[in-house]
Amino acid sequence: MARYVVKRLLLMIPTLLGVAVLVFLLMRVLPGDIVELRFAGESSFASKAQLALERQRLGFDKPLWRQFLAWVGGIVRFDFGRSMWTGAPISHEIALRFQLSLEVAVLATAIAVLLAIPLGILAAVRQDSWVDYAVRIFSIAGLAVPSFWLGIVVILGLLVVFRWLPPIEFTPIYVNPWRNLAQLVWPALAVGYRYSAVSTRMMRSAMLEVLREDYIRTARAKGLWQRLVLSRHAVKNALLPVFTVVGLEFAFLLGGLVVTEQVFNLNGLGLLFVESIAHRDYTLIQTLVMLVAVVTVFTNFAVDLIYAWLDPRIRYA
Amino acid sequence: MPAGIDAEALPGTAPRGWARRFGAVPEFARRHPLGAAGAAVVLAMALVAAIATLIAPYDPLATDYSAIMTPPGTTHWLGTDAYGRDVLSRIIYGSRTALTVGFVCAIVGATLGAIIGVTSAYFGGTADLLIERLMDVFLSFPLIILALAVVAVLGNGVGNVVLAITVPMVPRCARVIRSSALAIRRTPYVDAARAAGFGHARIILRHMLPNVMAPYLIMATAFMGQAILLEASLSFLGLGVAEPTAAWGLMLKGAAVDFAETAPWLALFPGLAISLAVFAFNLFGDSLRDALDPKLRTP
Repeated sequence: MARYVVKRLLLMIPTLLGVAVLVFLLMRVLPGDIVELRFAGESSFASKAQLALERQRLGFDKPLWRQFLAWVGGIVRFDFGRSMWTGAPISHEIALRFQLSLEVAVLATAIAVLLAIPLGILAAVRQDSWVDYAVRIFSIAGLAVPSFWLGIVVILGLLVVFRWLPPIEFTPIYVNPWRNLAQLVWPALAVGYRYSAVSTRMMRSAMLEVLREDYIRTARAKGLWQRLVLSRHAVKNALLPVFTVVGLEFAFLLGGLVVTEQVFNLNGLGLLFVESIAHRDYTLIQTLVMLVAVVTVFTNFAVDLIYAWLDPRIRYA
Repeated sequence: MPAGIDAEALPGTAPRGWARRFGAVPEFARRHPLGAAGAAVVLAMALVAAIATLIAPYDPLATDYSAIMTPPGTTHWLGTDAYGRDVLSRIIYGSRTALTVGFVCAIVGATLGAIIGVTSAYFGGTADLLIERLMDVFLSFPLIILALAVVAVLGNGVGNVVLAITVPMVPRCARVIRSSALAIRRTPYVDAARAAGFGHARIILRHMLPNVMAPYLIMATAFMGQAILLEASLSFLGLGVAEPTAAWGLMLKGAAVDFAETAPWLALFPGLAISLAVFAFNLFGDSLRDALDPKLRTP
């Protein structure tokens, strides 16, 4: 087990390094740079010498490999540098927005899990009945409806039915929990529906598989109540793959919901992504991409480990 | 057998030609009514896309400034947008964009993924490790950055949108196909092909690839719905196909959100079109998976 953990941790290095190289090169391939954009934005006419001076200040005159090493060297020391556009430290730019994205992700996960587990069990136990068909249609529809469009419909519904709109300004939950929830519960619902659909389907198919296992037949044969067979034997085992899906979706949500944030006017990581790309704010984009990659890679790893821990049949050599 | 009796008319004889090839269709429809319904909707949409010029009541690009934001009624069944363009006609023409993007992305993405996955499993060892790491890099890279970069460098046309959507699909498919291919790389027929002295490319393409057809078809159908959704999201962000092309995601952008209260039809109908299309693809894809390989899990 220890060897497996070390091997997995070591394998993360080439993956993350690959992501770093890819994002670094992609940013340099994009036409235009921040200096051009900033001075073109102001109506004043900047001389070529001024532009060159600004580029020098940002380190664009150095060879690419030195810029890359300087940036990666900072990342591994948790020194992310400053945003090229605002000049504020990147950790500061990310902190509050990360809080918002994290909260939406947690709320959406709660909604998804609360819907998915009972629905998935119900559909599997009553396979091919009308309940199963209804749950399947509900969850396939969840995959089909674009979250951002569902967001538009939710806002429209609130406006038409209640003549009310969620607050626009973000209030941290420790300042005013009510105001905070009033704003964030709607995007969480719009995203949570899709998320619950993915999890319901997984719960259903895992349950169907488990219900055909020998140990379930044994439990039934010794005369256990259906309810006990389900709760003690089946559900526990079927939860494993659902757990994987929830983990991966959660990692994805943490990266920010670019389109949903746009619809709900949320200033989260997704919006920061779009803005920093529009500004060609290299350092900020690179750090954001690395953040998403690290979260994804570690979630994958954690899911595999917990999986092995919960299921004694899985042993990594 | 007495002369004059047609062998094919006898009960129990195997059907030939097209009958054998499509004989599975009624069987599929009987066992998977939901999947058959999905397939029917997809076919209907393909038909609508094909004869769009005949059935669209208006030119999807024609602006009519005397009829801006007309509510749904007898002249414009689904109303008009902020430029006075007919919403129904734009939805009908938008099905062309959606289906093109869906089919091309899914087939190109799944095929590339399958080839990479089988190759990776076939060679094993260092090659497998390297390919797997490269796939990891793409899997942990945010899609939106990739899409933005493609569009910023190449501009937004349908071809570039297809590229931006296909790239993230390849590693997902490669992962699934690789695990199926690992199971068959030591089978007697692959050993036999190797012993016969066939080249690597021939073994991969002619001997292994046909035997991972089930996961390939399942992934490809699952991708079609996802590609349509992604295209809609990218267009909504202004990174997909550009105006004035009729595309569902693009119709939701801008005015549709700004005037959602006064002109809800602008926001509702294109979203319904996207949902219906993806819903139909998913219904079909799900049943196809149940029929071909129920153990495989698709999102």
